[in-house]
Amino acid sequence: MPDTVLALRGLTKRFGQQVAVDGVSLDVPAGSMLGLLGPNGAGKTTTLSMATGLLRPDAGTAFIHGVDVWADPAAAKARMGVLPDGVRMFDRLTGAELLRYHGLLRGMPEADVVSRAGELLEALGLADARSTLVIDYSAGMRKKIGLACALIHAPRLLLLDEPFEAVDPVSGETIRQILRGFVASGGTVVLSSHVMELVESLCDRVAIIAAGRVLAAGTLDEVRQGQPLQRRFLDLVGTHALGTESLSWLRSS
Amino acid sequence: MAALLLGLRLRQLGRTLARSPWAIVTLVVAVLGALGALGVVAALLLVLRVAAPAAGPDAVVVLGSALVVGWAISGVLVSADDALAPERFALLPVPAARLLPGVLLSGAVGVGGIATLLALLTTLIGWSADVAPLVAAAALVPLQLLTCLLAARALAAALARQLAKRSGRDLTLVIGSVLAISAGILVPAVAEGVRALGAAESMLHAVAEVLAWTPIGAAWGVPLALVAGDLLAAGARLLIALATAALLALVWGRDFRARLTAPIATGGGGRVRSGGWIDRILPATPVGAIAARGVRYRIRDPRHLVNAIGVALMPVLILGMQLVIGGRIEVELDAEAGVGLGAFAAVGPMLVPVLGAIVLMSVAQLDAAYDSSALAVHVLAGVTGTQDRAGRALCMAVLFAPVLVGASVLSTAVSGRWDLLPASLGATLGTAGIILGVGGAISPWLPGQTPAPEASPFGSGSSGGAQALLGALIMVAAIVTVGAPALGTAIAAAWLPWLGWVSLAVGVLVGSIAVWLGVRIGGRALDRRWPELLAAVSREP
Repeated sequence: MPDTVLALRGLTKRFGQQVAVDGVSLDVPAGSMLGLLGPNGAGKTTTLSMATGLLRPDAGTAFIHGVDVWADPAAAKARMGVLPDGVRMFDRLTGAELLRYHGLLRGMPEADVVSRAGELLEALGLADARSTLVIDYSAGMRKKIGLACALIHAPRLLLLDEPFEAVDPVSGETIRQILRGFVASGGTVVLSSHVMELVESLCDRVAIIAAGRVLAAGTLDEVRQGQPLQRRFLDLVGTHALGTESLSWLRSS
Repeated sequence: MAALLLGLRLRQLGRTLARSPWAIVTLVVAVLGALGALGVVAALLLVLRVAAPAAGPDAVVVLGSALVVGWAISGVLVSADDALAPERFALLPVPAARLLPGVLLSGAVGVGGIATLLALLTTLIGWSADVAPLVAAAALVPLQLLTCLLAARALAAALARQLAKRSGRDLTLVIGSVLAISAGILVPAVAEGVRALGAAESMLHAVAEVLAWTPIGAAWGVPLALVAGDLLAAGARLLIALATAALLALVWGRDFRARLTAPIATGGGGRVRSGGWIDRILPATPVGAIAARGVRYRIRDPRHLVNAIGVALMPVLILGMQLVIGGRIEVELDAEAGVGLGAFAAVGPMLVPVLGAIVLMSVAQLDAAYDSSALAVHVLAGVTGTQDRAGRALCMAVLFAPVLVGASVLSTAVSGRWDLLPASLGATLGTAGIILGVGGAISPWLPGQTPAPEASPFGSGSSGGAQALLGALIMVAAIVTVGAPALGTAIAAAWLPWLGWVSLAVGVLVGSIAVWLGVRIGGRALDRRWPELLAAVSREP
């Protein structure tokens, strides 16, 4: 078993009466790409927020390369690149300025920031939009610039919340190539998604979360157990069968 | 349908209050402010009623016209976050005619609308000298309120296409902010000017008579004509008032109908100038990057721009007022008491730029709140609290130090006493430093509330909320205690000019120590409270 790059240990978060994340533990070994699956409201974003230092857990913690995120945040944060979801960006900066901002905040030398920012904008097809304010970007372009911001300091662990949402097929393929190359060189990726086919084709490990608990985790084949991932996911999470009478008015009109 | 929309509006307001106890405190403060304004209006009208009953009706006409203009301007300023914008109904199979009454009435739900209704009822005091005007005025209150509501909707509708473009929207907000900041000072200045010209009452009457024939004042002009017993004029003005309301309704209704089928998409401003000089003068470090980002935001984000304009404009306006009114007071003092130097001119150079620094209070404390959840970048990148605080302080220093020094030089130049320049600088820089320091230190605990990014700078949250009020009290307390040596010696320098140099030395020293301490204390608090601060500023009004 190779080194564990990301280890979640009993992460728990309550919002008022509601338990959003309920004792999530998970290991992600080096050089793997893990797909985090779960229905809406399963606690994926909350889990990732607690693993990246954005949200203080009620209990449990996360380790990045053995460093406790909540005991030594500076060392842990230096090792990961994060694409958060549902969080604003400093979008009155242009794409180039936003990348420069992220690079400098990470303490990188200016020359590296400038050269890497240029390469990233080029690779993600944002070179034409480098002088446009991020606020004027489309949803897919915002995802791409967010991804570029997560990559600029060359972390060895990427935590990406819905990286393919609203991204067009061409850019999606670019992102896949970037991520595959990253993993092939020993990097580690955790990404959340709702698209089973994408996770099946891209990830070698899968974790399924529902109602704040891990229902299944392991390699793709361990989780699938010989079934398509879609089928297995529905079995685990439980489908919501419609009665014959429900929504009958919709069929009669 | 109207009841449904009103219910929707009430539920929206209720939800805002239920989300945070600070929101309730903010509402209470807003209500107290409105009651205070109503009290002033009522007291003014009562005094007029007793002392000069003939002037009451004239005052009411001017007041009513001002209300209509105020509604129209504020309608444009807050139109960016209209919860009942026509676009939101575009997918519903409901004709505009059924939506319009509810949308219009919902504008009256809120502190502003209720306060206006109460103000309109209060103005009846002004008419109470005669029976006929009083009855007519009472009957016209609904039309007057309707005119206010329609004016707000119609002007915003007429400008909607321009406001949809970011450049147009930002420009409108900047002009509006200059007007809003100026209004508080221009109105007394104009009033003073009128008073200075003498015969205030006849002047007021003349203004009221003109306004009474215009669309903005006609609804109040009807009872004014009845006071004079002029039935013909009353009828004509009633027609003007009704036609105004009809025309406003027509303009707004046409725009509303058009936007139901052709929604206005808010557009961008295209490419922007890079402002590479900002990166060149600031170091390529986390602190420098935060400062550079701050400087760019002061220029590009209207919410920040409005504050920056306030810092620069406040001293200029006070100076302008001093030139209009102060000069006169000085002359009177000279003549009556034989004071060699007008009191205002003596301490003006010290106090005027300090007012600019005071505007910094909302900037220093609320800076992180303006970032909203974008602040997550700082948390994710592992920016230390000290770096964050130092970057923000550096941004303010780069931007506002030249503005405040300029204000000092300008107000000293106006007073003509160059020997007071060190005192002016000492008082201003000392006060600004204390505000920046205290603001940075308390912001991790009291981040305050701001309008959301992209929302109007004058929309919900623009008052800063109760936390900002508490923060302002703390900052004022610091200014009058820690800042006392610099301010005291600065004022004393009016009589002993060498004290100005003491003030300058003390001010720079105290200001620098305050900023340094603010960075240290605020930074340490941030390192412990990053997630909590992020959660607090992510909650948008």
